[in-house]
Amino acid sequence: MRAVWRAARAAVRRRRLQTFVVGLVVLLSTTTIMVALVLLDASSAPFERAFAAQSGPHAVAVFDAAKVDGVDLAARRTGVAAAAGPFRLARLQSGQGELFGPRRPLTVVGRADPGGPVDQLDLWQGRWPTGPGEVVLNQPPDANGPPRVTELTLGGRTFTVVGSAFSLSQTADAWVTPDQVAALNPTGVQMLYRFAGDVSTRAAIDADVAAVTSGLPAGALVAARPYLAVKEELAEDIDVFVPLLATFGVLGLVVSVVIVGNVVSGAVVSGFRHIGVLKALGYTPRQVVAVYLIMVLVPAVVGCVVGTILGVLAAQPLLTEGFEGMGLGGGIGAAPWAVAVGLLAVPALVALTAFVPAVRAYRLSAAEAISAGSAPRTGHGVRVQRRLAGARLPRAVSLGLGLPFARPGRTAFTIAAVLLGVTTVTFATGLTDTLNRLTDIDNRVSGQIGVAPSDGTSRVGGPGQPPPPDAVPQTTSRTDAQVEQLLRDLPGAARVAPILGLLVPVLGHTQPVPVTFVRGDIAAMGYQDLLTSGRWMADPDETVVPTEVLLSLGLDVGDRLTLDLDGRRTELTIVGETIDGAPVGSPAAFVDWQVLTALSPDRVVAPAEVYYQVQLVDGADVTAYIKAVRAADPALDAFDRSRVSDFAVIVLSFSTVLALLLSTVAALGVFNTVVLNVHERRRDLGMLKSIGMTPRQVVTMVLTSMALLGMVGGALGIPLGMLAHGRIIPATAAAARSSIPAAALDVWHAPTLALLALAGLVIALLGALVPARRAARLRIAEVLHNE
Amino acid sequence: MTSDTCVVRLDDVRKEYRDTVALDGVSLEIHTGEAVAVMGPSGCGKSTLLNMIAGLDRPTAGSVRVHGEDLGRLNESRLALFRRHRIGMIFQFFNLLDDLPALDNVALAAQLTGTAAAPARRRALELLDELGIADRRDTYPAALSGGERQRVAVARALMNRPALLLADEPTGALDSRAGEQVMDLLLDLNQIGQTLLIVTHDERLATRCASRVVDLADGRIVRERAINPEVPVGAGDRA
Repeated sequence: MRAVWRAARAAVRRRRLQTFVVGLVVLLSTTTIMVALVLLDASSAPFERAFAAQSGPHAVAVFDAAKVDGVDLAARRTGVAAAAGPFRLARLQSGQGELFGPRRPLTVVGRADPGGPVDQLDLWQGRWPTGPGEVVLNQPPDANGPPRVTELTLGGRTFTVVGSAFSLSQTADAWVTPDQVAALNPTGVQMLYRFAGDVSTRAAIDADVAAVTSGLPAGALVAARPYLAVKEELAEDIDVFVPLLATFGVLGLVVSVVIVGNVVSGAVVSGFRHIGVLKALGYTPRQVVAVYLIMVLVPAVVGCVVGTILGVLAAQPLLTEGFEGMGLGGGIGAAPWAVAVGLLAVPALVALTAFVPAVRAYRLSAAEAISAGSAPRTGHGVRVQRRLAGARLPRAVSLGLGLPFARPGRTAFTIAAVLLGVTTVTFATGLTDTLNRLTDIDNRVSGQIGVAPSDGTSRVGGPGQPPPPDAVPQTTSRTDAQVEQLLRDLPGAARVAPILGLLVPVLGHTQPVPVTFVRGDIAAMGYQDLLTSGRWMADPDETVVPTEVLLSLGLDVGDRLTLDLDGRRTELTIVGETIDGAPVGSPAAFVDWQVLTALSPDRVVAPAEVYYQVQLVDGADVTAYIKAVRAADPALDAFDRSRVSDFAVIVLSFSTVLALLLSTVAALGVFNTVVLNVHERRRDLGMLKSIGMTPRQVVTMVLTSMALLGMVGGALGIPLGMLAHGRIIPATAAAARSSIPAAALDVWHAPTLALLALAGLVIALLGALVPARRAARLRIAEVLHNE
Repeated sequence: MTSDTCVVRLDDVRKEYRDTVALDGVSLEIHTGEAVAVMGPSGCGKSTLLNMIAGLDRPTAGSVRVHGEDLGRLNESRLALFRRHRIGMIFQFFNLLDDLPALDNVALAAQLTGTAAAPARRRALELLDELGIADRRDTYPAALSGGERQRVAVARALMNRPALLLADEPTGALDSRAGEQVMDLLLDLNQIGQTLLIVTHDERLATRCASRVVDLADGRIVRERAINPEVPVGAGDRA
């Protein structure tokens, strides 16, 4: 064993470059594999993980406070593994305009602390309320989330927002102290249950709830929401990421396996000569195999340990960005099995890929092994070289073009590496272009400026921005129409559109439909670019509806819907489908303001209910306009809305990281191929230099050999990447119950394709450059003398 | 003969590899048309001397001039061009490209200079014909005998009409019959004016092909002798 170890150690020392290459390739491949696995794992069950991390309730039960006794509820334990409560609960209306989107009553729960055996809240900002007049809002931990408010009116009382907490199970919209909720006329009592039995179906949970509430007076249990309802809602958001993560994850795995296989088996094949020498010295075939396995495993183990750590570190920000915004950050991290794969499966893969050629060496005689250690003498590529010798090309180029044909297996591996690298780059480029187009469209549509009049109790800031620190809540003295006129009159304003969000009952549907009533210049603001079918509204009896709303209503373009508001009805024709609604609130149908006036002629719309969208003339200064708004009316909060969406940022982050990683790994695959080719052909190179091949010609020859593979890999990888883009992005949008306008998918134009065609070439040339220069510097005397 | 016929001039050349002195104070001249053999035991510095003259290695001290060109002052690219145009090399193990047939192996040397394939192949065929192996032009090295491979290597070395033909143990890997053929070939080349420097262990090769033998030991020239009256003697012969 000592002899084996000594020989392996000597081989590692003697082949420093190869050892370095094996270590580096395994390191980067393991990093890629880890990022891919961690992302795949996170996307496979993020809800379950976050739910477990918060000890989420399997059922959120609300009881009629008048019919139950809190002590009795707490004592009921049939089938219950853990319970929290009773918490008293009030349903209160918030002030106008305090929270974006249609107004709705908020569920306010009195809780003494955010912890407990069930529903352990993530108090991610501020502190828990300790006294009267303090409230914590339920918001996912997301720095770029909805606008934050500092004060809130609940049931006519003003509360200071002292923190933000997150309940994945949505057990409340806001929390106050138990004493405080008592003063808010609570109507319900909340119990949060984790059951010991089957909780896999709604029926099973209903049965569990029935068991724990049996014997209560009729009507005591007002509602019981199973956790599966929340899970299904979140699934839509999570499903957006899954196709993208899976694409990058699978690409990462395949590229890494291909490259590791190529590099490791190449390292052993190139060592055949050494194997022959060892055999001649008296090493047994088993010892020779052991020497080679140790030789590749030493750098591989170092590479995979470092790669595992780097992979976990690299994946973490992507996970945080990707899932915390949905409130799924809790419990998300590198799964132990993924770490185990990095630490055990990668070395196993290395050992396996080294084992196959090592076994071949095991079977060869010493003499055969020695002669097998150099470039193939006959056969592959001979005809190609012959043809190229007569081609009208510089000889260095024609020699380079012939080189890949000498080792078809290695060439195929190298092309596969470049192909997968180019596929990834193409897909990532298409994804980036599509997202940029969507962002451009969205920015154009939603921007540039939002104006929200204060309701006199709170102030608002832009997305992810706090309200101006010096802003005092006050009410504007202007009417809605006057605010609109003011905004039009300020320098730089090109278009102004007032937008009012309401939930409006629709005939034939049990749930009200979110509607944004729009007027002003809305038709000129670019919303047409968001249409995926149909056209923009031309008459007040027409509406354009986001895909998500259409799906929930089960309607399509051409169908009609009847709004029923304040006792009046109006029928609208759906003339267009759009990917999103107005820039505030959840997606909602666009309806002309005249319809609101017709349905509710007596309604006086307060400015604080309205969101004003402003677009400026070309070249106008957004900041200056915002300042002008504040100066003209201090009760108006104006903010810059043009920004890249969180989703785009997240997706672009991980697509860029993985595209770079995979391109680097692919380039390393090329690097390894060139190192092996040069090593095997060092005698030929020495001879060529001895007869007058210049260093530049050597570099040209080596780069040409890989450029050919780069172009082939690129030519094959581009259509694959385009195919992936064409299939996966619409699938992603469908998962999000949305759709993508054709204009955003139409990203493949000549300049982009030309640049992508260069991607394979660039990967190949970057990978080949260093070993090509090394080849050019080969010392002829040394090479030829070693024969 | 005048000094302008001097093809190779080594002045007090020293070459060190880490702690080893491979050549120490070697001075040597080879003149146009001469055939010089360098002999000596293994490790005496023969190959190092050949490498210096071929521009494959640089001296630690002293100067190496070939056709008046100080090789120590040339960068790698200029050295490559120097080898391409001035030097032809023959190796013990032939060093042919295995994936090219004999004709293309020979033509390669000219093609690297930018000569188009067709004229390069024409000239290669002429050389193969002169060396008696034109019928083997489409044969790959693996299918050639040792003697035939060395003839192909000689043809390749002559392709660019070099001023100096360097042969490193040209018969070392050949059987005696093939070795004889190669010796005849070298002798013939020298007799038509080709300047030759042969590094060899083989006394028979040296005495048959060279007009002068330089004996090296421990990196120094210990003796120079004129030995073959049939072989033209260069102007710098100090025998």
